[in-house]
Amino acid sequence: MSLIQKAKDFLGFDIKEDKYALVDDPIFGKVAKEKAPDKWVRSTCGYCGVGCGMYIGVKNGKAVYSKGDPLHSVNFGTLCPKGLSEHKMVYADSRVQAPLIRKNGELTPSTWEETFRHTSDEFKRIQAEYGKGAVAVISTGQLLTEEFYALGKFVQLGLETNNYDGNTTLCMASAVMGYKQTFGSDGPVGCYEDFEKADVIMLIGANIADNHPILKLHIAKNESVTGKKPTIIVVDPRKSKTAQMADIFVPLKPRSDLALINGLCYIIFEQGWEDEKFIRERTNGYVEFKKHILANYPPQEVAQITGIDVKELYNLAKIYSQADAVMSAWTMGVNQSSIGTDTVSAICNLALITGNVGREGASPMSITGQCNAMGTREFGFTSSIPGYRNYASEADRQAFADIVGVPVDLVPNKRGYAYPQIIDAINRGEIKALWVVATNPLVSYPDQNTLREALKKLDILVVQDAFMSDTAQIADVVFAAATWSEKEGCYTNSERRCNLAKKAVEPLGDSLSDLDIVLEFSKYFEDKHTLLFKDLKTPRDVFDEIKKVSKGRLCDYSEMSYEKIEQLGGIQWPCNEQAPEGTKRLYSPNMPCRTTDGKASLLPVEWIPLSEMACKGLPLILNTGRTVEQFHTRTKTGTIGILDALAPEAWVDLSPKDALKLKVKSGDKISLSGTRGKVDNIIVKVSQTVREGNIFVPFHFNEQLINAITIPEFDPKSFEPNYKQCAVQLHSEAVPEGIEYEEVEISGYLEGVKVYEEKVLTDEKIKSSS
Amino acid sequence: MAVEPLTKNTPLADFINHKTNTGMQCGNYSIDLPELKEGEQYRFHFDATACVGCHCCEVACNEQNANPDEIKWRRVGEMEMGAFPDTLQLFNSMSCNHCIEPECLKGCPTESYIKLDNGIVWHDDPSCIGCQYCTWNCPYEVPTFNPDRGIVTKCHMCVDKLEVGQTPACVQACPSNAIEIEVFHVKQWIEKDMAKEGVAPHLPNIEITKPTTRYTLPELKEGEEIRIADEHLLKPAHPELPLVFMTVLTQVSLGAFLALFLGQLLFSLGFNLPKPNLAMAILAFLPAAIGLPLSALHLGRPGMAMMAMKNWRTSWLSREAIALGAFTGLASVVAVLYFFEVGGFALLFVEAITLAIGIYGIYAQSMIYRIKARPSWNRKATTKKFFGSGYIGFLLIATALLIANGAQGVMVLLAITLLVGMLQALVILEEVMFYRHLDKEDPLYYQYNRSRILLQEYFGRVKKFRVYSLAVFALGLPLLAILFTASGLVGLAITTLIIATLGAFASELSGRYLFYRTVVPLGLAGNFFAGNQRH
Repeated sequence: MSLIQKAKDFLGFDIKEDKYALVDDPIFGKVAKEKAPDKWVRSTCGYCGVGCGMYIGVKNGKAVYSKGDPLHSVNFGTLCPKGLSEHKMVYADSRVQAPLIRKNGELTPSTWEETFRHTSDEFKRIQAEYGKGAVAVISTGQLLTEEFYALGKFVQLGLETNNYDGNTTLCMASAVMGYKQTFGSDGPVGCYEDFEKADVIMLIGANIADNHPILKLHIAKNESVTGKKPTIIVVDPRKSKTAQMADIFVPLKPRSDLALINGLCYIIFEQGWEDEKFIRERTNGYVEFKKHILANYPPQEVAQITGIDVKELYNLAKIYSQADAVMSAWTMGVNQSSIGTDTVSAICNLALITGNVGREGASPMSITGQCNAMGTREFGFTSSIPGYRNYASEADRQAFADIVGVPVDLVPNKRGYAYPQIIDAINRGEIKALWVVATNPLVSYPDQNTLREALKKLDILVVQDAFMSDTAQIADVVFAAATWSEKEGCYTNSERRCNLAKKAVEPLGDSLSDLDIVLEFSKYFEDKHTLLFKDLKTPRDVFDEIKKVSKGRLCDYSEMSYEKIEQLGGIQWPCNEQAPEGTKRLYSPNMPCRTTDGKASLLPVEWIPLSEMACKGLPLILNTGRTVEQFHTRTKTGTIGILDALAPEAWVDLSPKDALKLKVKSGDKISLSGTRGKVDNIIVKVSQTVREGNIFVPFHFNEQLINAITIPEFDPKSFEPNYKQCAVQLHSEAVPEGIEYEEVEISGYLEGVKVYEEKVLTDEKIKSSS
Repeated sequence: MAVEPLTKNTPLADFINHKTNTGMQCGNYSIDLPELKEGEQYRFHFDATACVGCHCCEVACNEQNANPDEIKWRRVGEMEMGAFPDTLQLFNSMSCNHCIEPECLKGCPTESYIKLDNGIVWHDDPSCIGCQYCTWNCPYEVPTFNPDRGIVTKCHMCVDKLEVGQTPACVQACPSNAIEIEVFHVKQWIEKDMAKEGVAPHLPNIEITKPTTRYTLPELKEGEEIRIADEHLLKPAHPELPLVFMTVLTQVSLGAFLALFLGQLLFSLGFNLPKPNLAMAILAFLPAAIGLPLSALHLGRPGMAMMAMKNWRTSWLSREAIALGAFTGLASVVAVLYFFEVGGFALLFVEAITLAIGIYGIYAQSMIYRIKARPSWNRKATTKKFFGSGYIGFLLIATALLIANGAQGVMVLLAITLLVGMLQALVILEEVMFYRHLDKEDPLYYQYNRSRILLQEYFGRVKKFRVYSLAVFALGLPLLAILFTASGLVGLAITTLIIATLGAFASELSGRYLFYRTVVPLGLAGNFFAGNQRH
């Protein structure tokens, strides 16, 4: 800067009017002049599973704006704060701009040739030495569907290892398995329009205000659509932002939701409020289900389990069963549980016995966490063969092999290890190479200490990511991936809507789209590229193959095309000859379930108490979750100043009563410990949003790594971790030993139950009897 | 410009269709507002029952206006009430309330604020000199200083967009339709609705500026405690160092000038007292001459400092600038008169006028701080303190007198010095007592109490120094100097007075530093981490 300019700046003769001016844009009206785009590219947001339509503004080849598409039925022009600032993350300092190989302990920029050569040599060596399964892959919900398909195809049929899973196991797996056991196939039943048309909306374990704020738009629309305010029920142990919307807030005890739902079924049966016709025509297993419920979930018992009054239970059951249309939506509060799958089925049971399936405003509906968790479920080749096909079914394997033109023997006949099993296998030394794609286990996986020990045992850790994530930093090889706006393909949102995400700008530096990485990498595996990807050069080619693979399946893409998706603002599958513009909801009266007889199953699912309860030494129950400003492990949002400043670090929500015991106030620092680990220096937020004895900590933050404490307990059906409840202690400066556990006094209706202490040791008994 | 062919419609598709589809203002980039009739204006409506605290509005605002991350025209206040499970998390998304009696406008020395016919309080960027007085005056802390530009900027309800039927960024972005633009009738609002619908928890008294934002609130239990999300964050206010020096120096000048004038007056009246000399006249002029230009350093645009005199009609800042400018100019004239040894009535007359203007100048200076938005400043003590600092001027002239004339006549001046110093000590004592006995029922208790915490906990040492140094340098040492003078120890008396002057100056500077740093403005509740997002 010249001296004159400096003097001028100091004296304030230049107020930079031009920099802050607005200018007319023919598409969006007035925009900031400094970054007025020279073109807009219609695309889809790459953050969460809501799947908002947006425009990416491009100026001089750089993404500079993101604006909501007002004609897109998902978001009607709105975007959440993450979407509004999404263009900023593309140019974050933490972007990986070239492939990296660890040399002399340092990650060093390298050529793709060398990187692929080195990695493929290692993979081949390990597979020759330890077997095909010694290479495992953990992917994500962040890629485009085409990329998932190509990656899955390469891993399963190219690398020939079925030890392949996604981080979707950490988020939506329970919904997948729940849908499968109830409806015979994965596939969210409802759609966002149901939020607008329902008379009662039950949000259970879903904090949409923080995690899916755009869905609030659909709830806000409800009144003008139905002509009356909907009754909103929020079931959550925490008075979350979402709970503020509730007409009825159900502050149940942690993870007692399954018991609550079963309890409501009991009351509905007892009162005869069920929809007999619907049950008869559309479901199986009624008799057994009813028997199970009536035998095990009387209201008094459920009141004990959930902490919700019997009277309130009756009220809830009445409201739920007597409304014309009830939508029940859930997300991580239900899924992330060791009884998640069964809780999903319980929610479906309740919807089924009251006939709330397949009608406008009446559906059970899972809200997805990631932008394309759905895509990996449909065609990712992890928990099923692409197109919701079953590994165990010979017909499914054959059908898939025929469509893609590979020998059927190549298609695995069973699912390999799920995510937690992969980590276990690494720990056992069975898996030697791990390829992590666009996920960051070093923040997101439970019981970090065990995970980190396990990863040290690997021969090679490959991380494919657009950002230098915590996991990428410890990798041996980093594949530099392109990110949102730099590549083309589809994302499927929570309501089965396949949206087109278009490429707006070129990948940064030497990075490649995840599709290109897979296609190029496959060339280093002899004839595999020719076998698998001969005709697949572009996302469109892959999309065409997906259409063929999906034809006739529930996730039917056969009548879709990029042009049609764009024109309609996304298409909800199944999209086939019968429904060329897609299908809003599944299992409408003329749409049978994917079970042998087309009926849904009423499942006698069982509530199980927490395995780790508050106890002496660990008197508090830790709940984990998210905040609106951050996304997952902050690799993206942590780089966006305006978002990060609002939530730069983790905090612990602490009830005033517990704060008093610990002699802390808001703003003080505290330590948190559990059986598996400890987190220091976490800031206290005294809040009445949590009940005494319960605390909440968001999981996004690597500095205050709450997953060092969470429990490595998994749902046996979905392998989803039980993130949301474990026992912990807090240590303040004034009270380092923490809170003293108070035994819950047993009182109430069960006469004859005595509290007795174990006095006689079993050994002694044996001795005396012998 | 290359525009990709999109669908049939562009995002600026017509609002009526959009509204039919959604029933809401949010989402669409065009807006349909009725034309304003006589007596009608635009305003914001904020629906706290719809807001879920997602911060979309904040980000959208910054994206629209290309503001850097730390310049927030719109912020979301966060509060909590009630006990689990009946907890209420209350959000207040607020930008500018486009008040009917905007304090920013009234106080702006450059007339950079304009209340447009449509009700929008518009800030004219080119005329702003970055004095930031509006950022003090607004009880909502709406105007924000942008150091990159050297000026203050604020929400203008996206008026450029509104005028052509485009939706303001925040309204467009809100997924809950919690922010809307409405047309309202001004008279009816002030007379009837404002008292009911213009109020929200933790916001300042509506009578200060008569804000226009209409609130829809959830049912709030009367008398229930409101917990502010950023209560644990207590950040001292900006030290305003140029102003610390400027105010004290000009006040010293006034004190010295008063001493000079009294000397001249008594001498003219024939008392047997020494005649003031040129050195004293220069001493009276010099502090103001150094201090005044210093004040330009706190401006974002020092080169335009002279523009501060523009708004003498309503701005105390303009009045101060004019009066103290005139005072300093006239004081220099007085010095010149001494140089040419002009005496008699003419001198006395010029001095009297200078003094009167100076007194008005310091009064105006104190009135700058007597603003409702900043409770700890808005006390009579501020005016008293500002005049009280003048005792240093007396010390200064007394020292000069001792050096020039020896003991003759200095006792009178020292006695007056002691008196003024005592008055200043009383003002400080009153302040100490005030913060010791705060009334919890006072609607300004939250701010007063935070000022107290700042005074006692953050700046405890400075506060101690302030109190003790005042006792020593304003009272103790002058008393000692009287003793020395009376005993004929002029040398010792001079030394004592020089130390007293320097010490008292340090004491007043520390007091003024505390004054700026410990003020806690009225305003929006903040964010748990980011606070009120004002510097």
